[in-house]
Amino acid sequence: MDRASPRSGIRRRLRLATALGALLVLLGTYGISTTAQADTAQADTSRADAAPGVNAIRVAEFPADCSYSHRLPDDPIIFPGLPGASHMHSFFGATVTDAFTTLPDLINSPTTCNPQVDVSSYWVPTLYRNNVAVEPIISTFYYLGEGVRSDVVARTEPIPQGLRIVAGNARATGPNDSIARWSCLHAGQVPPSKDFVNCPAGTMLESYLDFPQCWNGRDLDSPDHKSHMAYPVNQACPATHPVPVPKLRQVLRYPVSGDPAQFRLASGPGYTMHGDFFNAWPVAEMARRVNDCIRPVIKCGHDGRPL
Amino acid sequence: MRPSLAVPSVLLCLALLGAGCAAAGPPPPTRPDLAGETPAAAATTGAFSPTDVAWLQLTVAMSERLLPVLELVPARTTDPAWRALAGRVEESQQADLIRSRGLLAESGAPATNPHEGHDMPGMITEAELTALRAARGPAFDRLVARHLRAHLSQAVRIARAEQGSGAHPATTALAATVVRDGSAELARLDRLDPPTRAR
Repeated sequence: MDRASPRSGIRRRLRLATALGALLVLLGTYGISTTAQADTAQADTSRADAAPGVNAIRVAEFPADCSYSHRLPDDPIIFPGLPGASHMHSFFGATVTDAFTTLPDLINSPTTCNPQVDVSSYWVPTLYRNNVAVEPIISTFYYLGEGVRSDVVARTEPIPQGLRIVAGNARATGPNDSIARWSCLHAGQVPPSKDFVNCPAGTMLESYLDFPQCWNGRDLDSPDHKSHMAYPVNQACPATHPVPVPKLRQVLRYPVSGDPAQFRLASGPGYTMHGDFFNAWPVAEMARRVNDCIRPVIKCGHDGRPL
Repeated sequence: MRPSLAVPSVLLCLALLGAGCAAAGPPPPTRPDLAGETPAAAATTGAFSPTDVAWLQLTVAMSERLLPVLELVPARTTDPAWRALAGRVEESQQADLIRSRGLLAESGAPATNPHEGHDMPGMITEAELTALRAARGPAFDRLVARHLRAHLSQAVRIARAEQGSGAHPATTALAATVVRDGSAELARLDRLDPPTRAR
C-alpha cells in the first residue's frame, strides 16, 4: 500500500499539513479549489493514473468496514466534555472515542476499521433487544459519488480532516420527521420502513443511513452540528453549501430478526436512528480515494484501489 | 506545482480568519462558537464554550421535564416530608431554569432546545408521567422518589462535568450551584426513601 499510495505532491502536502496543523490542511484543500490551474493539473494527472481498465466497475465508491469498538453514554459532538450526558452510543472505528475526544486523539487512536488508515469515529444509538444491547456484526461505511449530477461527482472534494457530520433525527417523534431506513438482509420482500421491520428468521435486521454531502466550505462543525452541511437539492449542492464531498452511507447489520416490539434504540423508536461521524482519515488517503475512485466513478476496495 | 498551494492557503487563511490562523498545533476553531472544539479554545475569547452551551441546553430540557412531576406532588400526597422536599426541589429548579435560560440567551445559542421531546438519561418519559398521574399515596411516593433520584443523580453528574470542562465563569458557577443543591436534595431523598429499599 505504501508504494502505491499518494503521489509525491500529496506527500508534500501531508508534510505541510503536519507542520501547520489541521486548520491549514482544511484551508489548503479549500485553496486548491480556488487555484484553478493547480486543480486542473492535479485532476488530469490523477485521471491518467487511475484510467479505468476494461474491468473497472463504474460505481463511485470506496468502503471502510469498521467493527463495533465500545459503548459509552458519551457524545463528543453533541455533548463535548460532558461524559454521561448522552443516551448510550455504540462506537465504531477509533477505539478511544469518549466525551472529550478531539481530532488529535483520533489521529493517534487504534481503529477497528479495514482499512486501518481510517481512524475516524462513527457512532449510533445502541440497539436493544428485550433490554439487552445488540451490536451489528456487519458495519460498513461507504463513501459514494451519488445523489448529485455526474459533473458534480467529477469535482467532489475530499472530506476535510476534522469535519463532523450528523445524520438522522434522534428527536424524531414519528416516521415523518425521520430519514431512517430499516430493512432485512436477504429478505428483500419485506418493504423497508422508517421504523423497525419484522425480519424472517434467518435474516438480519439492517439499518441504512445517508449523511449530507454538501459542505459550506468553511466550518468543521456548527452550533447546531447540522447547518455546516446540507443534502443536495436538484442533484446539486446548494449555493449555501457549495462544496460536494463524498456521501457517507452507513450500513449496519444486526444479528436479530422477528417481532419489532422487542427492539428499541437508546434514543427511542426505530425512526430515531441517527449517526455521527468525526472524520480523521489521513488527508492523503482521503484525497487519493476521491481522485481515484469518486471523481472518475470507479468502485474501489478497502485499499482504495479499483476492484 | 503543489507546494505553491501553501501560499494561497495561508493568504486565504489570513484573509478569512485573521489572527485565528496564527495558532498552530491542535486545530483552532474557525469560529468562537464552533462546537466540539476544546473548551480552552473558546475560553480565550471569553465566550461560551461548546461544553457550556451543551450543558445549558441539557439542563434547561431536564428542568422543564421535571417540573410537571413536582407539580403533581401536593395533590397526590399528604405526607408533609414529601411535600416539603418537592417544594424545595421545585424552588431550586425554577431558579436554575431562569439562570440557565438567561445564560443560553446570552450565549447566542438558538432558542429552540435541541433536546425538546427527546428522552435523555434522567428524564421522565411520557409513559412514566402517565403512570405517575394515575398513582396515589405510597405508590405515588415511590414513583416520585425513583424519578427524582434519576433526575438529580444525572443533573449532578453532568453539572460536575461542566464544572470540570466548562469555560464560561457564570455557567460553571451555576453548575456548582446545581451540584450543591442537587447533592443536598439527594441526601434528603435518601432519608425519606432509603436507596437500598426494594423499589
